[in-house]
Amino acid sequence: MNYDTETKMMEGPEPPPATYAAIVWQQFRKNRPAVFGMWCVIILFLLATFAPLICMNQPLYFASNGRVSFPVFQSLFNRNIWENSVDIFFNLLLVLSPVYLLGLFLAKGHRLWLGARLPVLHFLLFLCILPASIFGWKNPLYIQKPIIQYDVLLQNAHEQGRNVRAIFPPIPYHYRQTNPNISGDPPSRQHLLGADKQGRDVFARMLFGTRISLTIGVVAVSIYVAIGIIFGALAGYFGGMIDLVISRLIEIMFCIPTFFLILTLAAMVERRSIFHVMAIIGVTSWPEVARLVRAEFLRLKELEYSQAALALGLPRRRVIFRHLLPNALAPVLVTATFGVAGAILIESGLSFLALGDITVPSWGELLNQGRLEQKIWLIMYPGLAIFFVVSVFNLVGEGLRDALDPRLRK
Amino acid sequence: MVGQDPPYIYGIISAKKVLEQKLPSAQALFLPIPRRILFGIPHLALSKPESPLMMEPAQRVSGKWNAMRSYILKRLLIMIPTFFGISVIVFIIINMAPGRPGTLRQTGDVGAYMRGEQTQESVRIFREQFDLDKPVLFNARFAITNEEILALLQKIPSNSKVANMERIHAYERLQDDGYYIIPQLIHAMRTARDITLRDTAVYFLRTNSQRMIPYPKAETAAQQEANHTVSIENAMLSNWRYQPESPEETKQQIIAKWNAWYDEHQGRWQYTTAGKLRMFFGETRFAKYWRNLLHLDFGVSLVTRQPVMQTMVSKLKYSISLSIISLLLAYLISIPLGIFSAVRKDTATDRVVTSSLFMLYSLPSYFVGTLLLYFLSKGSDYPRLRWFPTGGWSSPDSMQLTSLGQIKDIGWHLMLPILCLTYGSLAGLSRYMRAGLLDVIRSDYIRTARAKGLSERVVIFKHALRNGLLPILTLLAGLLPAVLGGSVIIETIFGIPGMGLWLIDSIYQRDYNVIMAEALVSALLTLVGILISDLSYALVDPRISYK
Repeated sequence: MNYDTETKMMEGPEPPPATYAAIVWQQFRKNRPAVFGMWCVIILFLLATFAPLICMNQPLYFASNGRVSFPVFQSLFNRNIWENSVDIFFNLLLVLSPVYLLGLFLAKGHRLWLGARLPVLHFLLFLCILPASIFGWKNPLYIQKPIIQYDVLLQNAHEQGRNVRAIFPPIPYHYRQTNPNISGDPPSRQHLLGADKQGRDVFARMLFGTRISLTIGVVAVSIYVAIGIIFGALAGYFGGMIDLVISRLIEIMFCIPTFFLILTLAAMVERRSIFHVMAIIGVTSWPEVARLVRAEFLRLKELEYSQAALALGLPRRRVIFRHLLPNALAPVLVTATFGVAGAILIESGLSFLALGDITVPSWGELLNQGRLEQKIWLIMYPGLAIFFVVSVFNLVGEGLRDALDPRLRK
Repeated sequence: MVGQDPPYIYGIISAKKVLEQKLPSAQALFLPIPRRILFGIPHLALSKPESPLMMEPAQRVSGKWNAMRSYILKRLLIMIPTFFGISVIVFIIINMAPGRPGTLRQTGDVGAYMRGEQTQESVRIFREQFDLDKPVLFNARFAITNEEILALLQKIPSNSKVANMERIHAYERLQDDGYYIIPQLIHAMRTARDITLRDTAVYFLRTNSQRMIPYPKAETAAQQEANHTVSIENAMLSNWRYQPESPEETKQQIIAKWNAWYDEHQGRWQYTTAGKLRMFFGETRFAKYWRNLLHLDFGVSLVTRQPVMQTMVSKLKYSISLSIISLLLAYLISIPLGIFSAVRKDTATDRVVTSSLFMLYSLPSYFVGTLLLYFLSKGSDYPRLRWFPTGGWSSPDSMQLTSLGQIKDIGWHLMLPILCLTYGSLAGLSRYMRAGLLDVIRSDYIRTARAKGLSERVVIFKHALRNGLLPILTLLAGLLPAVLGGSVIIETIFGIPGMGLWLIDSIYQRDYNVIMAEALVSALLTLVGILISDLSYALVDPRISYK
C-alpha cells in the first residue's frame, strides 16, 4: 500500500500536498487558534490601511454649490496633514489596494505566490518614492496644501444658510488634531475613547497607532532577519576563519542584554524618528537569527543535493541563495513571527519610557500618559491593544512552529 | 533507574570522535544520540575517557570533580576575550554617539566662546578630567597636519561664513585635540596672514597648552616635584593672552613669548615610532578605561561625582532582592505547573492552564504594572482597594519602625513589583517546561519505560523530568542578567531606586561611566549565567561530561 492510498483511506479524497509550503499550510490550517490569529493580523493590516476612511477630519464627500469633491482622498498625500512616512506608506497602499485586490482576484492559481510577493512589491515601490518624497523632489506624492478646516467651513455655511453637504468618516478627528477644550476628557459620545492631555482623540491615535506598531514589527524584523541570514549563511557555509569571527560576534552580542543596548542606542540618537527605533531594534536583535541560519547551513551544506548543485557548476552564490537558503528559512520564519510581537513590545516599552518617537501616535506613549495622569482610558485601551497585537502574533508564531515541526504531524 | 546510566553510552570511546573520524564502530551505529547533545551544547562533549562503571565510586567522584575544575577554568579563560569584545562594542556605541557631556551644546551660548572664557575653561577641565577629550579607540593625533588645523581655525571667528553647527564642531575639535596640536597652532600663529586667525590660534594655544598634573596622588618627592613643574608652567602659560582689541605691540610681545617657549620645548612633539604606537593605542579613552578596570575601578559618575562601584553596591540590594525573589517564585511555580499541564496534555485543565499562561505571556508587564498601580495603590479611585503604596522601596517613616516592622514595610512595598516581574517569567518558564517535558515524553526511552510496566509516577518523575528540565536550565543564563537590566521598566513604574532606574537616569544624562559599568556587569552576569546553565546541564544529565 503506497502513501497515496493510505492517506486517501484516512482523509478522504484530498490528495497529499506536493510542496513543502503546501504541507506546512495544510498543517497550519488545522490549528484553529493560529488561523484565528492570522485572520486578526489580516484585519489589523486592513484597519491600518483603511484608517483614513474610518477616522479623519476631512469629509469623504463634500458638495458645495453643486461642486463635489472628495477631500479625504485629495489629502492622502498632503504633507501638512501626514508628516511621517509610515502614513504615506499606508496611504499609498490604500490608493493601490483596488489594483492589488484585482490582481489577487484575477490570478486565482497564483494567489499564494502573488500574496507573498505583493507586500514586497509595495514596499519596493514605496522605497522608490521615499527619497523623493522626503526631499520634496518633483513627485506626484509630494503635495503641500493648506489644511482646510471642514468642520468650521460647514458651520459657517449652515449659519449663512447655504446648501452644503458633507459626509464625514465615522470618527471625524485626525490623530494630530489638538483641541485644548477637551484635554484629558473621559470617553464620551463624541470621543469614543476619550482624549489625551493635548486634547487629541484617543480613538484616532489608537487606530493610527496600529500603523506604527505593525510597521515597527515588520520592518525591524526584516532588518534583523536580513542581517542574521547574511551572517549566518556566511558563517555556516564557509566555516573556518569566517565562522570563527562571526560566531564570536554572535556570542558577544548574546551577552549584551538587548533591551539595555536598545535603550542606550535610543537615548544616544538625537531627534529620534520612528525609523531610528526600527533600525535600532534591527541591528541589535540579529544574533538569534544568525545562529539558527548558521546551524541550518552547517547541516544543509553536507547534504548531497548541495554537493550536486556545486558539481553541476553552479556559482556558489546561487547555491547559497537559491538552493540552501530556502531550506534554512523554516526556523527563521517562526523566530520572525515571534520577533514581530517582540519588536512591538520593545517599541511600546521605549515609548513608555519616553525614548520613542514623540511625533507618531504610539500606544506606549499613550500608556505612559495614562500612567502619569492616572487616567484609566489612557491605560486600558492602549494596553489592551498592545496585548491583543502581541498575542495575535504569538498565536500565529506558535501555529507556524507546530506546523513546521515534523514530529507533530499526524 | 536514574542512578544507573545506560551502559551503551559509556561503552564507546567518544561518540563525537566516532562521528568526526567516521570510525567503523558497530556500537556507534546503534547509539541513540539525542540531537540536543550534538547540536545544542557547544562546549560539552558527549564522551567519557573510560567507563566510570569500572571505577571505584570515590575515584569516580574525584575524577569528575577534577574534570569539572579544569573545565570551569577553561571556560573562564574563554570568557576573557568575549568580555573584552563586549567592552569594545559597548564602548564604541556609547562614545561614538552624538551628544557629549560637558560640551558647548550643553552649556549653550554658541558664538561667545571668547567672552565666556570661564565656562569654556570649566568645560575643558571637565572633559580632560574624565578623558572625554581623548579619541575613543585609536589616537592618531600625531598625524594631524598644519592645513587641517588651519582649516578648523578659519571656521572659528564669528565673521567667518560657516554654519553655527560647523563652528561648534570645529571648536570642539580644537579643544579636544588639546596638547597634541600645539605645533600646528604655533605654525598657524606664525604663518597666518589674517590677524583674526592669528589671534584665534593664540587663544587656543593658551587653553591647549594647559597640562594635567602627572601624578594626582603624588607620594614621593620626585613626583611632587614633577607636579610642581607642570603647575608652574601652566600658570605661566595661562597668562600669555590678549584681548582681540588690545594694541598690536602687546600682541607682538605675547606672540614672541610663545615663539620662544615653543622653540625651547619643541622636543615634546617629536615622537619616536614606539611613542607613536604607545600614543595610538594607549592614549585613548578605551585604554584609560581598561587601565582603571584592571584595578576594579569603574570610574566616577559624571553627574554625581561618586565612584560608580560604590553607588552600584548600594543599588544592588534593591534590584537583587527584587529579582531573586521573583525568579525563585517563578521557578517554584512554573516547574510543577509545567509538569501538571504536560501530564494532562489535551485535557480541559491543560487547555485552561495553557491558554491562561499564553495570555500572561503576551501581557506587557508595564501595562499590568500601571493597571495594578491604578487600581490597588493608595492613589486608587476605589477607596476599598487602596491596599498597596504607590511605589518606592519603603515608607518615609520606616526608620522609626522595629526591624520586623521594616521588613514588613518593605515587603508591602515590593508586593506589586514582584507580582509584575514574576508573572512574565512564570508564563515563559511554564510554557518551556511543558514543551520540554512533552518532547521527552514522546521519546523512545519513555515508551520503553512504560512498556516495562513502570508506574506513570516513576516514568514522569524519575525518567522524564531530568531531561525535561534541560530547556528550563538554559533559560537561567538569560534570567541572571535580568537582575540588572530586566527590571528597568518595572523599577521606573514603581519608583524603586535600583539598578534599572539608575540605568535609565544615567542614560538620559549621558553618564558614560555608569552606563558602561552596568553593561559590563550585566554582560559578566550573562557569561556566568551561561556557565552555570552548562554546568547544571551536566548535573542533570549524566551522559554529558566535562571536557
